[in-house]
Amino acid sequence: MFKLFTNMMKEEWRVHSTMFGSLSFALFPVMIFGIAFMGSFLLPLFRAVVPPGYLAIIIHAMFLLLGIMVGGFGLLGMEVMNRRFGQASLLSYSARSLPISEQEIFCTFVVKDTVYYMILWVLPVVAGFALASPFIAVPPYLPLLLLLTLTLAFLTGLALIFFLSTVYSRSKQVLGVLLIIMAIGWAAFSLYTGIGPAALFPPLQLFYTFSWPTLLVACAVVIIPSAIAVLLFTSECADATKRFKNALVPLTKKLSFFPYPPLAAKDLIDLLRSGSFIGQTLFSFLIPLGLLWFLLSVLARFLPPGDILLLFAILTGVIASTMYTWLTMFDSFSSYTCLPVSVPSLLKSKMCSFAVLQMIPAALIVFVSLASGGAVFLAPALVLCLSVSFYALAVTVWLTGLSPSVLVYDARVLLTYLLAVGVALVVLIMLAFVNPFYAILSALLFLPAWLLVKVSYAKWDMQDQPWF
Amino acid sequence: MSFMEMKQGIIVTQGLMKQFGDVVAVNNVSVSIGQGELFGLLGPNGSGKTTMIKMLTGQIRPTSGSATVLGLDVKKDPIGVRERVGIIPEQETPPSFLSATEYLDFVGEVRHIPDVQKLADWWFDFLDFGDKRDVLCKDLSRGTRQKLMFTQAFIHKPTLALIDEPLINFDPIMQRKVKDYLTEYVKRGNTIFISTHILEIAEEICSGFAILHKGKLLYTGTVAELKERDQHLDDFFLSLVEKDGHV
Ligand SMILES: Nc1ncnc2c1ncn2[C@@H]1O[C@H](COP(=O)(O)OP(=O)(O)O)[C@@H](O)[C@H]1O
Ligand SMILES: [Mg+2]
Repeated sequence: MFKLFTNMMKEEWRVHSTMFGSLSFALFPVMIFGIAFMGSFLLPLFRAVVPPGYLAIIIHAMFLLLGIMVGGFGLLGMEVMNRRFGQASLLSYSARSLPISEQEIFCTFVVKDTVYYMILWVLPVVAGFALASPFIAVPPYLPLLLLLTLTLAFLTGLALIFFLSTVYSRSKQVLGVLLIIMAIGWAAFSLYTGIGPAALFPPLQLFYTFSWPTLLVACAVVIIPSAIAVLLFTSECADATKRFKNALVPLTKKLSFFPYPPLAAKDLIDLLRSGSFIGQTLFSFLIPLGLLWFLLSVLARFLPPGDILLLFAILTGVIASTMYTWLTMFDSFSSYTCLPVSVPSLLKSKMCSFAVLQMIPAALIVFVSLASGGAVFLAPALVLCLSVSFYALAVTVWLTGLSPSVLVYDARVLLTYLLAVGVALVVLIMLAFVNPFYAILSALLFLPAWLLVKVSYAKWDMQDQPWF
Repeated sequence: MSFMEMKQGIIVTQGLMKQFGDVVAVNNVSVSIGQGELFGLLGPNGSGKTTMIKMLTGQIRPTSGSATVLGLDVKKDPIGVRERVGIIPEQETPPSFLSATEYLDFVGEVRHIPDVQKLADWWFDFLDFGDKRDVLCKDLSRGTRQKLMFTQAFIHKPTLALIDEPLINFDPIMQRKVKDYLTEYVKRGNTIFISTHILEIAEEICSGFAILHKGKLLYTGTVAELKERDQHLDDFFLSLVEKDGHV
């Protein structure tokens, strides 16, 4: 088991460092550390506005969210790598031919992911904060406590997503019922007791007041779902003899208004048959955004409702821009290399499919605006969300072409992305806070987005596509 | 090689070179391949054969030098080249979530091939994999995937096909069938460029060949010449490569 683990770690390192160059990759935690270190100096500013308790909620929720996103990405990674690297497939799959049970492999995979992302994300953040703490008058025990509780928050997210996704692979109905029960239970509890649901989150309780029983509960919340996930796990060895009805030609005809109908039809088929349409919408879109909404509602006491809605629209836009990865992850460029398809036309086609997928965030914004009683702000919220999404997409395409996953590992690329998107977001948030209707001005972002896309076409046409 | 052949070279390269970082994968290669040839690019693993085919089909850009394929400059018009030729890449990677038929339909749509279904039926029959037509590509065996890649390369009846390691996943029966198909194909005036490290294949079906080693062209000639000298291709190959310092 340990041998398997070390091999998986080595493999992960090898895959990522060959994909992105070992230097850029090794710099990644260093950069996260730097951001955390400098960010910590903003804390006193925050504390002047937001009570410390709320700050703790926000940062714990962020790590919970990080766990969820990373877990989702890890699971997908397992699928994607396997597909992209084909024969040179990852150990977790080639291990099928070894005398090891699938549960054991999955278990090792989970542990590997945890350790790996702890090193990549959690440790650098806590280290950055710890180093900054003497300068910002934070008691020295706090970074240690924070290391514990943030790790737990991160692991809870990871465990939750592994649990939900194994349930999902067993039965979609059961997952649906489970999610509804969890949501109703949560809402009922907070309505009935008047206690904010955040108080239910054990790592946070642990942060407020440390006690051994709470620590035990916090660990149980991590271990029990993970254990169930491992028990429930089956590698979905889809029936290899399954026949499919020819869908490509009819779809191509239906999608004739696209610039490249066969490419669009293929995107759609990929999304549906890989199961990523429902899975992704749920795990990388609705669940993180549900959490964000909850997070923002914590701020409701300090901000007018319109601002909350617009803030949510901005964040939805950023997350919606990652839908581009849904369209690229199961699609290896190598399947086009023997056809007369150029990289720019492929990019263009993907962006059109992306535009169609934007109906999902648009629908969500409409729903949230109406449900939260912010219908007056529907128009600015919608424009804001879509402009941010398309602008962030353009930056992604410009920086990463057809391989957006580079963003997650290449320090230089991520930094450029954060700057390009971050500056725009800060300006927009300020505009929206001055007057919600100014947010409509965000439509101006389509101009730089359009220019970036033009530049990207030329840029990626000149470069050799990676071999994976 | 006569002046006329040079003139109408189907593939002509001049000092073609490709560098990946410090690695010079293809080093200053100049060849000319005439119409109707079944040309074999031979070389040990890592000698640059795949890189060469990728440059000739506009999949990667040469670092320096030039190449024209069917009269088109691969640097200036890679898409034009790919429109006209058929390509079988080294790794058979049809799209995971399309079935075999759908993939051929997809190729038909992208290449604007009329009546692609009828042509596909012929290939399903010829290569004997009609029973797999509705199975997703990711669930096909390597051999079947190779058949599918073979089909997509020839379905638009190109006048030039470039094939990287053609027979590797086929059983002996299929190998025979495919070899016969290729020799027939060039007899009709088409041209085929294959890369392989299996010398028997080259000796059996190729007319001309070139030997590539560590990215450099060691030799260009015809199989007939060798036969005249009563030399075996594998002896010849080994002596050349050893002279060049292969360990
Ligand atoms: N994308 C790439 N990046 C870096 N090196 C490469 C790449 N592709 C090929 N090479 C290197 O170029 C050389 C030639 O490889 P290749 O053309 O695949 O040889 P062959 O097909 O004859 O086995 C090898 O040393 C290989 O490692
Ligand atoms: Mg090769």
